[in-house]
Parts: sequence; C-alpha cells; structure tokens
Amino acid sequence: MTATLERPATGAPAARARTRAQRRAGHRVPRWLAIPAVVSLLITGLYPAAAGLALALTDSSLARPLRGFVGFDNFVAAAESVAFGGSLVRSALFAVFATALAVVAGTAGALALQARGGRFGLLGAVLLLPMVTPPVSVGVAWKLLLAPVGGGLTGLWDALGVSGFNPLGSGVGAFATLVVTHAWQWAPLVLLLVYAALLGVPAELWEAAALDGAGWWRTLRSVVAPVVAPTVLAAAVLQLVIAFKVFDLVAVVTAGGPGVSTIVASFEVFRTAFRGSFEVGTAAAETIVLGLLVGVVLGAAGLVTRHTRGDA
Amino acid sequence: MRAAASRAVLAVAALLAIAPVVFLVSLSLRGVDDVQNGGWLPERVRWDNWPAAFQTVPLAQMLANSWVVALGATLLTALVAVPTAYVTARAGRSGKRLHSALLAAYCAPPIVAVLPLYFLLKSVGLTNSVVGLALVNGLANVPVAVWLLDGFVRRVPAEVEEAAWVDGLSVAAGLRRVVLPLIVPGLVAASLVCFFLAYNEFLFAVSFAQSPSAQTLTVGLSLFQGDRTVQFGQQAAASLVAIVPVYVLAVLAQRALVGGLSQGAVR
Repeated sequence: MTATLERPATGAPAARARTRAQRRAGHRVPRWLAIPAVVSLLITGLYPAAAGLALALTDSSLARPLRGFVGFDNFVAAAESVAFGGSLVRSALFAVFATALAVVAGTAGALALQARGGRFGLLGAVLLLPMVTPPVSVGVAWKLLLAPVGGGLTGLWDALGVSGFNPLGSGVGAFATLVVTHAWQWAPLVLLLVYAALLGVPAELWEAAALDGAGWWRTLRSVVAPVVAPTVLAAAVLQLVIAFKVFDLVAVVTAGGPGVSTIVASFEVFRTAFRGSFEVGTAAAETIVLGLLVGVVLGAAGLVTRHTRGDA
Repeated sequence: MRAAASRAVLAVAALLAIAPVVFLVSLSLRGVDDVQNGGWLPERVRWDNWPAAFQTVPLAQMLANSWVVALGATLLTALVAVPTAYVTARAGRSGKRLHSALLAAYCAPPIVAVLPLYFLLKSVGLTNSVVGLALVNGLANVPVAVWLLDGFVRRVPAEVEEAAWVDGLSVAAGLRRVVLPLIVPGLVAASLVCFFLAYNEFLFAVSFAQSPSAQTLTVGLSLFQGDRTVQFGQQAAASLVAIVPVYVLAVLAQRALVGGLSQGAVR
C-alpha cells in the first residue's frame, strides 16, 4: 500500500534517471575505440619490457639475439661495469639539478611575464623558442658558444679575468654545462605551464592583497602560491621525466667526457649496445636497472606531489 | 618598480633564449680565420659555409627524411590519439586506467625500448627506413598527444553528444561528427607538439637508421663532430638548416601552440 502511494512522488525523477541511465548504457564507449591505444601500448610498452627482460637473461648479439639462457650473468656484468653504476648516479643528479634549475627559472619568468601584464605575444614566442629547438642543434650551439678558441663567450671570460676558461675541460664544468643547457631548453615549458596557471588567479585576489597592503613577497606566498603550487609540482615531475631521457645533448656536447664525467645512463646503455663491444645482453640488463631506478624516483616524486596537493 | 624589475628579468631571459642561435647565425657567415678571432660580428660576411655544409653531408636528403618522418609520425599519432583521448576522457574507470598506462609508458626513458624495437624493426625489414622511424616516433608520441587532448574532450559538454545520439548517431559517429570538430584546437596543438618531438628526435634515428637514405637531420648534425675548428661555420649553417623550419612553424602557430599546451595541461 505504502509503496503504491509513494510511487507517484518519486516516479517521475526515477523514470528520468532511468532513461538517462539507459541512454548512457545504450551508448557506452565501444571497446574497439581503445584498440589503437592497446596496440600502441603493446608495441611501445609491453613488448619492449618483455623483450628487454628476455635479452637481459640470454646471450645475445645485434645479429643473433636470444642465443641461450644465461641467468643473471648480464646483470652481474652490468654491476661490474666500471661506467654503469656511476652513470646511474649521474642520471639521477642530472635529473634533479636540471629540474630544479628549469623550475626556478621558468617560474621566475612566468611571474615576470604576468607582472608585466598584457598579452603573451611576441615576447612569449621568443621565450618559447628554446623548447622547439632540436636538442642536437642546442648542443652544437652551446658547444660553439663555449669553445675556448673562437667561442662566443671568450670576450666575457677575458673581461672576468679568466681568459681561455673552458667549462667543457673539467668534469664538473662539463656536467654543469649540460645541466644548464638542458634547463635552457626546458625552462620555457615550465614558464608556459605556470603562466597559464597564474592566469587562473582571480583578479579580485590580487586587488584584495594590494588593498591590504601586502608586499610582493607576501602576495606571492599567501595569494599566488596556493593557486599555482599544484601546477609547479606537476611541471617539476614532468621535468624529471624529460631529464631522465637525456641522450642527444650528451652525445653531441661531451660524448660522455672528459673521462667518464658526463656519461649518463642512456648514453652508457647506448655505448654498451651499439658501440665498441656490442654487449646486447649487458645493455638490456642495464636498461632494466635504469627503468627500475626511474620508476622508483618518479614514484616517490608522484607521492610527494599527491601529499602536498592533499595538504594544500 | 616591480614592473621595471620584471621587464629587466624578461629582457635578460629573451636575450638568453636567442643568444646561442644568434651566435650560430654569425658563425655561419664567417670564414675559418674570422671564427678564430672570436667575437660576435663577422669581419666580412661570406655565404660559402652554407653550400659547403650541403656537400659535407647529404643535408638536403636528410632534411627531406626528417620532414617525411615527422609528418608521417604526426599523422599516425593523431589517428591513434583521437579515439584514445575519447576513451580516456569518457570511459570512466577503464579510461582512467588506460590514461595511467600511457603515462607510465611515456615516463620510461626511450633507451629502454631501443634494443627491443631494433630487433622488431629488423624482423620486419624496417631498419634503415623512414617508414620504420615514422612508425616508432608516431607510436612513441601517442601518450603526449593523449595527455594534451584528454582535457579538450572533457570540456565537450555531454549534452551535445547526447543530442547527437538521440538523433541516431552511434558513439563512434558522434565522436567523428560532433566531438572531433570541437576539439580541433587541441588536435592542432597536439599535432604541432608531436611534429616537433618527431622532427627533433635523435636516439631512435641514430639507432635504427645508419644508411644515408634514411638518416635524419639530427643524425647528420652529429656527424659534423670530427674536425672541430675547421668546420665551425659549416656546423653552424647545418644546425640552422635544422632550426629554421621549426622556428618559422613555432612563431606562425604560436597562438595555437600556447593555447593547446596551457589548456590541455591545466585542469
């Protein structure tokens, strides 16, 4: 009885909800739309992971892969390789320093661009150019700029009283040069992302802060940071990802030298597989270790990001 | 005061952004002795580095290869990314899972995939081939395009699509006829970004294509390494051959690029 009495009251919205649900059900995203993505993931994700593992556990050459199971011999060879352990450390250091520099410079640029007001315009376009420059060309340009004879900065070194200074001549200098060059290329991406987020700070907030007599630093901390922080963190994680991929800059600017001081993991794996000894199995074992390292670092970075966002 | 400070910061930043490339232009117009003298301005402008660079390495062929690879890769990326972004944006939990899987694949350094992909390409006869490079680059850039497009699909109101379904369109037809036209700005931006990525790519190119018929421009530039001092001018000219097309494209399409990158990334 009660049921029949109640039905008219809830019937109309329920019916509407049902038709909506039916419409949704009748128009589920068809599974075949995901086929291209799945095929793409199979080729660029699952297959490389499986084949990499298979190569790492077997004796292989470029001409004849998978010649026989050798257990963990390749991992032992990777661990004993003089260059590989150091290259992992260098990759991690490179990623952290390059990310820090790109995030600081990019955020500063975005704040300056926002303070200037007006449109993104031509200045914005100029600031973004490094990002689209082929990294190989970036490497060539910086290498020529820093050349001890005929380089673009020889005049600057003379003026500073360090004539003939060659940053690429020492291990630390060469590593720092690569970090700066990489950050030069990718700070614009941070600038663009943070600038877009800054446009999301409501105008009333800026005005209210100004009315309250808040200074620049205070406004930045209390008004801007809460809105922009998630974007800055996301940009930082993206920069870590990009920095761990670095290969071309090293290949062109230093080729790993002087000595082994700029051999990052990507470059070392490439050397092991395609240059000199062609140790395909060892290289595959190295890629597995590298993949795990990147996974751990990015996983940690992701956790930190989520934690900070949750608090904000 | 604050405006003055920010203007100063921006002026320095703009100078830093263009200085290395400006120096390349200067070097490309100078002879060997002029380069050795240092400085930023040519003592006497000469153009012979440019034709010489085209003779030292088959630059014209490499430029053509780069464009074929980049255009082919971008087309493939777009064809895969549009339905994929629809799934990630509209298919609820499974869409989210697909999105995460794609991002995870993007996070791995490409060197991890190089050896397996080398053997795959070799087994199907696509090493030393622009087709092989276009395929690999096209698939490798799918996560980037989906990351940018996902937000654009989400902003298409569900009602618009539902209206199309009521009119009898299937979901796939609705995607093609209703959603696709509305996400064109995102698709343009994503395609530009993926074009730049494929055009600038070096690791796959140097690993999979050793023969001159398939070598791309980035590989060609790395071949200038040998004689350092002598070839400064030629090396600069060759680098500029690679840079000029992307700069022209980036400036012409600046609005589409900035809009797509900033909107796609900010949720």
